[in-house]
Amino acid sequence: MGRAPAFLIFFLGLTIGATPGLKGAETVWSGLVIAENLAQPKAIPPELTRIEGMLKKFFGYNQFQVIGQSQKTLKTGQEDWLATSKFFGLHVDARGESEGGYVLNLKLYKEKELLLETDAKLSKRSPLIIKGPQVGSGQLLLVLIVQ
Amino acid sequence: MKTFEEKWTAWLDGQLTGRELSEFEASLPDKAAAEAGKADARKLGELLKRELSARTLTNEEFFSHQLRERIARLRSPRRRPAWQARKRGSTWWTIPRLLWTGAMSLAVFLVFTVLVMHEKNPAEESPYLTQILNARVDPVTSPNATVSIFEVKKDRVTVLWTEGLQSLPADYAAK
Repeated sequence: MGRAPAFLIFFLGLTIGATPGLKGAETVWSGLVIAENLAQPKAIPPELTRIEGMLKKFFGYNQFQVIGQSQKTLKTGQEDWLATSKFFGLHVDARGESEGGYVLNLKLYKEKELLLETDAKLSKRSPLIIKGPQVGSGQLLLVLIVQ
Repeated sequence: MKTFEEKWTAWLDGQLTGRELSEFEASLPDKAAAEAGKADARKLGELLKRELSARTLTNEEFFSHQLRERIARLRSPRRRPAWQARKRGSTWWTIPRLLWTGAMSLAVFLVFTVLVMHEKNPAEESPYLTQILNARVDPVTSPNATVSIFEVKKDRVTVLWTEGLQSLPADYAAK
């Protein structure tokens, strides 16, 4: 092989290698979280450790307790799943993979009653938090994180 | 007037003649020893002449052939070293080579640009933050509810903030 084709292949390889490629299947963690202010708060669940500081600062609560959760590995980006607690249900319908994330349709139910619906483009690098209704002295939060 | 040493040297070399020779030989204290010394000096001189004289080449043709070959090699452009070729007005920067170098430089530039963009974009560009495309609340149960969107770029978190949703009793926090 001559020098010119060898160089060309080398640089093409470098260029292709440098572009963001498609990765394998990824897991989305969906959680129903009750945020409260308690005198002796429990440790934050491990799924939320990554955004602990932001949660406390942004919502002003000191305890975050997961009351329902689901972990779904996305292979086609077209899956749907449900994270439920005793009274709430979060239905997530993935509608395909876009650049750097997934397009999701989210529906929050209180028992069978639809409270909230939203469409979002969930980034693989950026969690989504939805502030739900007030529950007692706390607050319902919906959290979605690509793990 | 010559000194004794000058006369001695001239005598050894056989350059003294006539009266000067007879006078010098008469002045020698031991003529026999002097004659022996003269003979030794002559032998030494002959030995030095014989040993130190330039050697004559016995194979002149061979050496001249070698020299001619070396000169021919040096004159040949094919075997001339690269630095010599450049020194004599090189033709390395021909148009195709210039084009090739330009293309390679462009390729290197593109590779580094892609690499830098790839590294910088995730933290800076909004497409890498989660985006809320739309949001609706049930107008029957929460007629006064509103929604707002916050992008916490520092933490790379997107928040859909609702206000005015119907409050629920603490029992609803059950797992």
